[in-house]
Amino acid sequence: MKSKSSYDFYLILATALVLFAISLISIYGMFYFKLAQIQQMAPAVKMSYMNRMNSFIAPFIISLILLLGICVPKRLLPTVLLNRFAVLLVAVAVLTGLVAGVKASLFLILGASLVLQLLVLILALGGSKNLHFHKKGYWVRLGSSLIHLGLILFVLDLLLYEKKNLHLFLFWITTAASVVGMLLCFYAEFVVRLIKDKQNAATENSI
Amino acid sequence: MAVLLISAVIITFFALLNLYSPKPLYQRASAILLAAINFFFLAGFLWICWFHWQIYLKLPLEVPQELIAWINRQIAMINSGSSYDMGLYNAAAPPRYKIPLWIENEKYYFWFMCYGIMALLVHFRLQSHRFRALLQIFLALQVAILYFWADPFSSPLPQFLGEVETWYKPGLSLMAKAAYFMRLYPKMVFYYNAEYMWFHPPLLFISYGAITIVFLTSVFMLIKRNLLIEKVGYGYAKLGFFMLTLGMLLGYPWALKAWGPNWWWDPKICSSLMMWAVFSTYLHTRLYANKKSMWYFTSLLGIICFLAMIFTFLTSFYFPGEHTFQ
Repeated sequence: MKSKSSYDFYLILATALVLFAISLISIYGMFYFKLAQIQQMAPAVKMSYMNRMNSFIAPFIISLILLLGICVPKRLLPTVLLNRFAVLLVAVAVLTGLVAGVKASLFLILGASLVLQLLVLILALGGSKNLHFHKKGYWVRLGSSLIHLGLILFVLDLLLYEKKNLHLFLFWITTAASVVGMLLCFYAEFVVRLIKDKQNAATENSI
Repeated sequence: MAVLLISAVIITFFALLNLYSPKPLYQRASAILLAAINFFFLAGFLWICWFHWQIYLKLPLEVPQELIAWINRQIAMINSGSSYDMGLYNAAAPPRYKIPLWIENEKYYFWFMCYGIMALLVHFRLQSHRFRALLQIFLALQVAILYFWADPFSSPLPQFLGEVETWYKPGLSLMAKAAYFMRLYPKMVFYYNAEYMWFHPPLLFISYGAITIVFLTSVFMLIKRNLLIEKVGYGYAKLGFFMLTLGMLLGYPWALKAWGPNWWWDPKICSSLMMWAVFSTYLHTRLYANKKSMWYFTSLLGIICFLAMIFTFLTSFYFPGEHTFQ
């Protein structure tokens, strides 16, 4: 558990707020679906309902991706740099949205976040003075990077659902990244213990 | 089930005594009863396994010889318009039901059994007699639900047996038999025998059991600041979130296969998304749970997680859509 009020704390609160908004939109969708009897409507009406829900949720998904673009790499990259990057990304995304539409804007944000997240993953894998593979923090950071990479890939995958083969391929990558990420992040102590036991066994064998 | 209910009634009595007593009472007896309830649960689960094995052995979908060519033509025609294949009928190996162990009333049984095992593990990890009492009362409540509303043993798999009953009645005409086969076979392939049925529902039910533990620890966190109970709750929250996310993800390719692409924003999907978002919020805020305000906020979110879980489960009954149990 962390103790002091910080930038990190406010980022967590902002994330909680965005997730809360996504929950509210989901509840709205449920009741709208039931009351408007969408399941009995023509496919065109159902498509228009799905498109409307997509447009409602898109800003919050963008906010979530931007937030984790700042949140995860903040111990690996300078915060000022990340903030500037986020502001620049928002500006370019808004411009792209105005010129080429929301989908293009979403692709841009996802592409940029994906590159950033991959960079973070490489940095996390490389470790540092504070983050080394025999310490818990290393695996938590690595796991967290993988979970967030999985989330970005999942949203990207949803946008590419018409390309069937790529869609399922990306989906399984998303699943693998999320599962490995959660295991490393949630059970970091166990991973460290496993590594130490192996190291001890190797040392004993060499003696 | 009667033995389970009797054990649950006795454990509730001990639990109520402990809840109101400042000192621990009958702790050894409670532990033995809790272990016994888990033993009965496991014995019942083994019976369910045996019952499903009997269905596999004794209820093949055998078709009269003269219908095979017609049926295979129909299946080939359906396959030509779909990207997913249903296997052609093979007289040497007729299709058999491989029914998962968590459909109809059995799903409640499996869910509550998972909770029972978790309650037993938590019982031995935490010494607080009041918290143990709360765990036991919840288990007793679940046993009561099983006994009065969802007993999987008094009349097992009524919906499934109702569906296939006519097929095994003697005197069915060839035409009726063919039509009936074309109704039963796709459901067998895409629902009863779907490989995802072995992963998607059980992972969710394990997560439901874990979320119930998170709920109880959260209620306790609101009353008393006990770090050990909070730590246990967080351990189960991690397990629950892992199972929930994996379970939801594994439902995705199955939904594409069974329903095609246009099921997104279905009420069940909306409610699952809502529950996942609430759970994610809980895990994020928990990082700062040692701040006084965040301690209560996190506890509140743990309680909301449980309510969201109940709401999500009930969605299948009260909201229309692809996932409906109506």
